[in-house]
Amino acid sequence: MLAGSTLITLLVGVMLILAVRNKGGRASERHWIWGWGLGFTLSVLTVLVGFSLWLGERMLARADDALEVSAHAAQWEWQFTQPGPGGVPVVTRNTLFVPAGASFDVVITSADVIHSFWVPQLGGKMDAVPGHANRHRLRADAPGIYEGLCAEFCGFGHNFMRFTVVAYDPALPMPDMSEAMAAFADNQAGILP
Amino acid sequence: MTFTPPADPRAIAPSEPMVDSLDIAANPPRRALRLHRELDDVWRDEPGWKGFFTSVNHGTIGLRFMVTAFVFFAIGGVLAMLIRAQLATRQGAFLDLDLYNQIFTMHGTIMMFLFAIPMLEGLALWLLPKILGARDMAFPRLSALGYWCYFFGGSVIVLSLVFGVAPDDGWFMYTPLSDRTHSPGVNADVWLLGVTFVEISAMAAAVEITVTILRCRAGGMPLTKMPLMGWYLLGTAVMMLVGFPPLILGSILLEVQRAFDWPFFEVARGGDPLLWAHLFWLFGHPEVYIIFLPAAGALSTIIPILSRTTILGYGAIVAAVAGLVFLSFGLWVHHMFTVGIPHMALAFFSAASALVAVPTAIQIFAWIGTMWMGQVQFRLPMLYIMGFFATFVMGGLTGVMLAMVPFNWQAHDTHFVVAHLHYVLIGGFVFPMLAAVSYWMPLICGRWRVRGLGEAAFWLILIGFHGTFFLMHLTGLLGMPRRIAVYPDNPEWEWLNLISSIFGMITAAGFALFAFDVAMQWLFGRRSWRNPWRAPTLDWAMPLPAPSYNFASLPGPRHGDANALLPLARGEGLLPGAPRGWRETLVVEPGSGRPDHVAVLAHSTSLPLLTSAAIGSFFAAMLSGFYWLAPVGILLTIWAAWKWGDIMGTDRDHPPARVAPDLDLPLHFQRRNTLARTGTLALLLADGTLYASLMFGVGFLTVVAPNWPAPVSGIATLQNVIAALVALAAMALGLVASFRAETARTTPIGGTWALVGLGSGGLALAALAVLAYGLDDPTRHARDALRGVVLGFAVFHGVVASLLALRSLADHRQGRVSATRVGASPIWQLFQMFWLGTSAVSLVLIVAQEVLS
Amino acid sequence: MSWLWRALVGPVLWGVLFSVVYGLHGAGCNLGWTRVPVLFTDWHHMAMWLAWGVGLALHVVVLRVVPRGIPPGRSRWLIVAGAWIGLVSSLFTLFPVIATSTCL
Ligand code: HEM
Ligand SMILES: [Cu+2]
Ligand SMILES: [Cu+2]
Repeated sequence: MLAGSTLITLLVGVMLILAVRNKGGRASERHWIWGWGLGFTLSVLTVLVGFSLWLGERMLARADDALEVSAHAAQWEWQFTQPGPGGVPVVTRNTLFVPAGASFDVVITSADVIHSFWVPQLGGKMDAVPGHANRHRLRADAPGIYEGLCAEFCGFGHNFMRFTVVAYDPALPMPDMSEAMAAFADNQAGILP
Repeated sequence: MTFTPPADPRAIAPSEPMVDSLDIAANPPRRALRLHRELDDVWRDEPGWKGFFTSVNHGTIGLRFMVTAFVFFAIGGVLAMLIRAQLATRQGAFLDLDLYNQIFTMHGTIMMFLFAIPMLEGLALWLLPKILGARDMAFPRLSALGYWCYFFGGSVIVLSLVFGVAPDDGWFMYTPLSDRTHSPGVNADVWLLGVTFVEISAMAAAVEITVTILRCRAGGMPLTKMPLMGWYLLGTAVMMLVGFPPLILGSILLEVQRAFDWPFFEVARGGDPLLWAHLFWLFGHPEVYIIFLPAAGALSTIIPILSRTTILGYGAIVAAVAGLVFLSFGLWVHHMFTVGIPHMALAFFSAASALVAVPTAIQIFAWIGTMWMGQVQFRLPMLYIMGFFATFVMGGLTGVMLAMVPFNWQAHDTHFVVAHLHYVLIGGFVFPMLAAVSYWMPLICGRWRVRGLGEAAFWLILIGFHGTFFLMHLTGLLGMPRRIAVYPDNPEWEWLNLISSIFGMITAAGFALFAFDVAMQWLFGRRSWRNPWRAPTLDWAMPLPAPSYNFASLPGPRHGDANALLPLARGEGLLPGAPRGWRETLVVEPGSGRPDHVAVLAHSTSLPLLTSAAIGSFFAAMLSGFYWLAPVGILLTIWAAWKWGDIMGTDRDHPPARVAPDLDLPLHFQRRNTLARTGTLALLLADGTLYASLMFGVGFLTVVAPNWPAPVSGIATLQNVIAALVALAAMALGLVASFRAETARTTPIGGTWALVGLGSGGLALAALAVLAYGLDDPTRHARDALRGVVLGFAVFHGVVASLLALRSLADHRQGRVSATRVGASPIWQLFQMFWLGTSAVSLVLIVAQEVLS
Repeated sequence: MSWLWRALVGPVLWGVLFSVVYGLHGAGCNLGWTRVPVLFTDWHHMAMWLAWGVGLALHVVVLRVVPRGIPPGRSRWLIVAGAWIGLVSSLFTLFPVIATSTCL
């Protein structure tokens, strides 16, 4: 798409230069308006829209047996619920643990204002809207640590509403979640700011 | 002002005449100077400060709009520089988070609401009568009212920054962030009330522009031949009529929620924050086309003239404008691709957003084809037009990219979007406006510019702009979200931001130089000769600078383009001079442009200023939280509105006005289909959209919002049923009365009918009051709150309709009606119909809600 | 000015059709129409297809009827252009009803 846009920009640029240098002449509506304006544009757009819908379809969260985790946003932090050791769901603060190499669905909710869940390296974003639960499918191909952030402006602490996604190798033992769990528990008890 | 030089023989011949050849003879020539004095005495503003407060002349008001808009642009620009200074380094320069939030919110708000919209309104007010061949806009007092509302509202918004209570929830004010719980301060109220106050000016301008284009053209100029600028501004104005009401409704609802705790957007009580998002973007997307269309109109005007040819594909461009007007109302959800709407709905809007690129492309290629056809002259406006092409095309392409759902999920709310929106807004609006200003400056001030400065400013702006925003695409793709003040953990974004900031300062320097250049031209430029661009359009068929009355005699079949400058100045055109000592202009049939009657326009008056102060007192009471004072503001406004009617009629029949030797036309007092009537229809279009938005809100919450169904309601009482039926019956009786008051106007019965209308209006209002008393507590659930608003809508229109009934009664009592003079009843009929119609729909809706639940 | 109203028929029809289909889509997803089978599909799809189909048929009628009786010239050209704008818009913006999944 970037390449296509660059090409079209260059094309229009060249046309413009030619038009400016051309010292008067005949121009036909058929050529400029119906040919370029309508024909060219409409064909490019048809292809583009078709492709993007096809791509969008493939990214949807469908009812299959993908792992489900949840992300609950609040000013200005994230609570994640995910399977912990032995498959028991555990709640963590600002760190999400998921297995690498498999798709998972994040169910995104909000406690107060609109936030947005975004891990740039894993895919697109999805808003956390009060009263609604949004399902968002992602996949980390390789184990690693991915930075995430709140992308929708949500007030004073928006700047720092960040989180981490830890994608672990499902073949290895589970990573240590205790710190993030403790962060959640301490926060519940009012110990952390 | 001199009247000697001959019309330049080299003015481009229009490829087809702009007027039809009707059989209307020319008036005999007169001494131009004497004619000028006669007209100027009538049309010029009062001297000194008095003139400042009382002017209603479109030339003055239009210029004032533009100058004020540029001042706000400068303020918004300073804020932009603060933003860029802050973002230049990771740790940020000096702003704390709270202040940063205020600053980017204010930057966006000022640029959109206090610069772009008023700028285009100003251009339209100033230019339209000139380019269409009229002496003023259709409703001069409305121009002035709009200006004062803009001035007061804008000042309050900007002053809030000085007091540190500026809005800080982003320019789209998403709830729940902007509700009482999460924004307890007055900041959000400043936005909601301030912007709504300013939007009064947008609605006023939209009504005026529509009516002026449809009815105040040169005699014999059919719609199909009017200058393209007319089509563009007609499209703009209609879009404003339909586009602003959703925002106005949203702002009212949110302010009512903040002030009185009615839960429209609060999930726990049946509201939904997504309703705000829909209402906002239902306005917000059309808004960008509202901004773009007048700019494109300027391009379609200037490009052919500076290419010494005529536009390629007039018809195709008109069709493209129509396509844009419609399609742009089907795009708003592309700002909401990530809120969790199902893919198919996203796909509709994605496809529509792609399709809207077609009419845009048609225009771009028409312009390029026009340049190909002609010989491009690189005068200063042409440079800015090149800047437009170099910028807008890219902005359009990134726009299409953002319309693709998968890409949008990635780029949304990042600096990629910031780059895109500035490419479109600065490329598609600011560059064309700079072209327009440099093109029309000679007409504004009668002077030619000082060489060199303008070119330097252009290059600074162009280079500065691309340096600031081009790399910002990359910054966004690297993951930098918008609306953050510091980014301590992301050193990889720093060099990009630093470059952006440096070039940002260059851009600012360019704009400063541009302003300096304009000031120099105004003060020291040499006198320009007439029609310096040798353009065919009528805006140049007048001496420079433009006189207060535009045309000593009005263009018509024999005098249809700029070559008629001298005959028009000598009074050979239509309706020469000001023989009655009144401000008069020609009114035509909308389609064909045949002369229909002569409208007498308002003279200088301070009523618009007082009216906007009265409206302002209402807003001030709301803003300061003295809600009990707000009714006083309402009463003041009603009083002022009443005063407007006082000078609208006349108590005697006037002889027809001599427009041409063989053409006498009645004055508007003796016509039924007046400008005021067309204006009312335009206003009701906007009003109907407001009502439709409200119905959308009801439907949306009923179907989508969580926490429905609502608790059992207690409104199905006998008392309420009777009150509702009485109200409807009284409204219907009022409708009959409004027609009878007109048909029986020559007999005393007419007055009696007006009295009946007034009485039934009062009865209906009383019944509505009973209903208000019997309503469920509106703070309980969004359904009940919405019913409160539906009722409020009916009450508001009841007050308007009853005031018009009262006006009709006064007409009868004061002898302002006769066999040929109809007075206010045609307007009253329209409002009465609207009141009855919307109330009936509301009743059906509420009954359906009750029965179905 | 009646030609102007005629030119607007097509685009207005698009506006109505777009709102109706979008409304049907939103209502269907929230009121569970996807769970009601009709023939080989479900009630949700059926409703949208019907609306789209009827709308497109109306567009074709508009294309044939509105220019009638208007002499050739720019007004007629604009009327025909308006009818085409409506038809193409309805085709292009609503074709997702046959292309994408409904409520995901
Ligand atoms: C020298 C010129 C300008 C510069 C350097 C500039 C810079 C910026 C920057 C950096 C932002 C992003 C702030 C953030 O997300 O943290 C921004 C936002 C924005 N700008 Fe500009 N801007 C300029 C002119 C304009 C103009 C002319 C307009 C409109 C006509 C405009 C409209 C906006 C809007 C609507 C936003 C979004 C505000 C929000 O997020 O609430 N800007 N600008
Ligand atoms: Cu957040
Ligand atoms: Cu948009």
